[in-house]
Amino acid sequence: MAAPAILPDRRERFELLKAELSAKPVRPVEGLIRTALPELDRLLGGGFSAGTIVALEGKGCWSLAAGLTAGMTRRSLVAILDDGGLYPPALVEAGASLERILIVPARKALSTARAADILLRSRICRMVLMPAVALRDAIWERLAQLAHRSGALLIVVAERVGAALSAAAGVCLRCSQERILMHGRHGLWGTVAGFELCVGVRKQNHKVTGGTVYMRVVKETQNVTLR
Amino acid sequence: MLLCVSVTGETVLWEEMLDALDAVSPLVDDVRPGLAFLDMHGISGRAQQWIAQARGALERFECSVRIAAGATKIAAQAAAYVADGAVCERGAEGALLSPLPLTLLEIDPAIIERLRLLGIERLGELARLPHGPFVRRFGPSAGSWHELARGIDRRPFVPRGHAIAIEASIFGEGRASDEAQVFFALRMLLARICADLECCGKCAGALHLAIELEDGDVCHFDVPLAMPTAHERTIFEMLRAKLESVTFGAAIVGVRLQALRLEEGGEVQALFCADDFDPQRVAVTIARLEAALGAGVARAKTRDAHRLEERFTYEPFNTCRPDRVVPSGASGSGLVPQLRLLEVREVPVQLRRGEPAMVGRQAVRQCTGPWRIEDRPYPASSQSCHPEQSRGTRDEGRDEYDVVLEDGTFARIYHQGSHWYLRGVYE
Repeated sequence: MAAPAILPDRRERFELLKAELSAKPVRPVEGLIRTALPELDRLLGGGFSAGTIVALEGKGCWSLAAGLTAGMTRRSLVAILDDGGLYPPALVEAGASLERILIVPARKALSTARAADILLRSRICRMVLMPAVALRDAIWERLAQLAHRSGALLIVVAERVGAALSAAAGVCLRCSQERILMHGRHGLWGTVAGFELCVGVRKQNHKVTGGTVYMRVVKETQNVTLR
Repeated sequence: MLLCVSVTGETVLWEEMLDALDAVSPLVDDVRPGLAFLDMHGISGRAQQWIAQARGALERFECSVRIAAGATKIAAQAAAYVADGAVCERGAEGALLSPLPLTLLEIDPAIIERLRLLGIERLGELARLPHGPFVRRFGPSAGSWHELARGIDRRPFVPRGHAIAIEASIFGEGRASDEAQVFFALRMLLARICADLECCGKCAGALHLAIELEDGDVCHFDVPLAMPTAHERTIFEMLRAKLESVTFGAAIVGVRLQALRLEEGGEVQALFCADDFDPQRVAVTIARLEAALGAGVARAKTRDAHRLEERFTYEPFNTCRPDRVVPSGASGSGLVPQLRLLEVREVPVQLRRGEPAMVGRQAVRQCTGPWRIEDRPYPASSQSCHPEQSRGTRDEGRDEYDVVLEDGTFARIYHQGSHWYLRGVYE
């Protein structure tokens, strides 16, 4: 009897699972903050160095930031500087605990910088997430120093990271949406489930940069085949 | 022996009356405004002398007062009901209570009406009912009514607490026009207040700061603390954060600081809480952020609603330690597309076979929807937290679409009336 043909996506998932199972487990390195995303930890060599500015740029970086937030809220308080675009239900879907998220409304560049300054000085949260704003080099440097002193991560999300931020950041990750993932067909009988996110290291202090990782960014589903 | 003090009519000055009764007995049970009992055990004198003392203490209030004595609360209350200055001796409770109406028990009028329909109008008639069937018919609380009607009172005597006022002030010692001077004065006052708190074994849950200016204005500040404390430095940090962005119109000539919401001493400390945040430090940071930004720091909460922008609400950040729970939702290694809400703006959309084909100048690569969102209220949902985001869209339903444009933008758009709007972008 002939073996049934294996669907390509099933084969892909099988290969992915095989690779995941055979991969060496990431051991925590002292001074590094592990994210809840094993693929990213592997890419970064264990996680982010404590007390650095992490710049995320490109399309899809808010999804990555939400994943980092979700992981961090399991351990400590997280502050998000909201420019009005935050959609908390999506954070909950990502697994974040809203109980542990401090939402600070800051729409102007100056107020965003002040809020980040106060939060980093206070040392109440391990992670501060903010949208990139146009700030002088000196202010980014000061924020980098404060982050270093407090041991907190300052995640800055930008469409495009400027020179000043790039210089101050300890890690710079470039994100790009590679492929759109669909549930069902188009129209009323389908939904855009998400996308495949490609994350590349553009800069990482004291390490050789390079390397990319692909991650699936999908809405919560119930056994629906992705196309 | 207990004294019953029953005041009829105006009870505005009830607290002052209770303070005056402290001179008669240190133990005063404040049952409700207008009714109090005084425990006279161990106080020298006889019942008539105590009644005269209590009457003398309340004389200046010029109100209608009935004072009587009895061995129990119900006996003293019944004696006051019968006659002002009456004394019910031990053992005579049953006879005294028997002709009195059921209203003396202060029970629900509906139950009194039910009892009246059964032919029971006096306490004596109630006392004669068989205990068991009466309790089975009227519930467990009927047992205590039955006992009270027989003169048996098991209600505890609850002495009222005495309010402690802890405050400190500086007036008439010059003027301060410099921030450092004000903080120096505050430190002095705080040192006094914290010493007083320590003496009383109390912690303050909030502070009230009044600053008097040279031009006669008085500025008031309420400073809530995350956790009741008597720690001087923590309170000072909070006060300083609160005053950081305040500018006064004139020099400061007086400062008054009052400790409020006093609680019994001792602060809650948790073991194994290295990763948990310190509520006091969070409260100071929030006060500092609010002073710097002029906007409140919030915590988001999700709720059920049809519209995207109504599915969450913001509330002030509560500095209590949250429970240690693993959040539900994604398993931890998954990423979820994040919708970024944009300022609602109209976009030109071209249709092909009823579906969006062009959004602005971008061709649509993928389109899903429409999902009809009716404008009927969701059960138990209230106003939107961002009314400006949904302005002009309250009148009719809308059709929502997810579209992927040729430049890779993954957006949520909607069609309402004859217009198309961009709601947000997934990033």
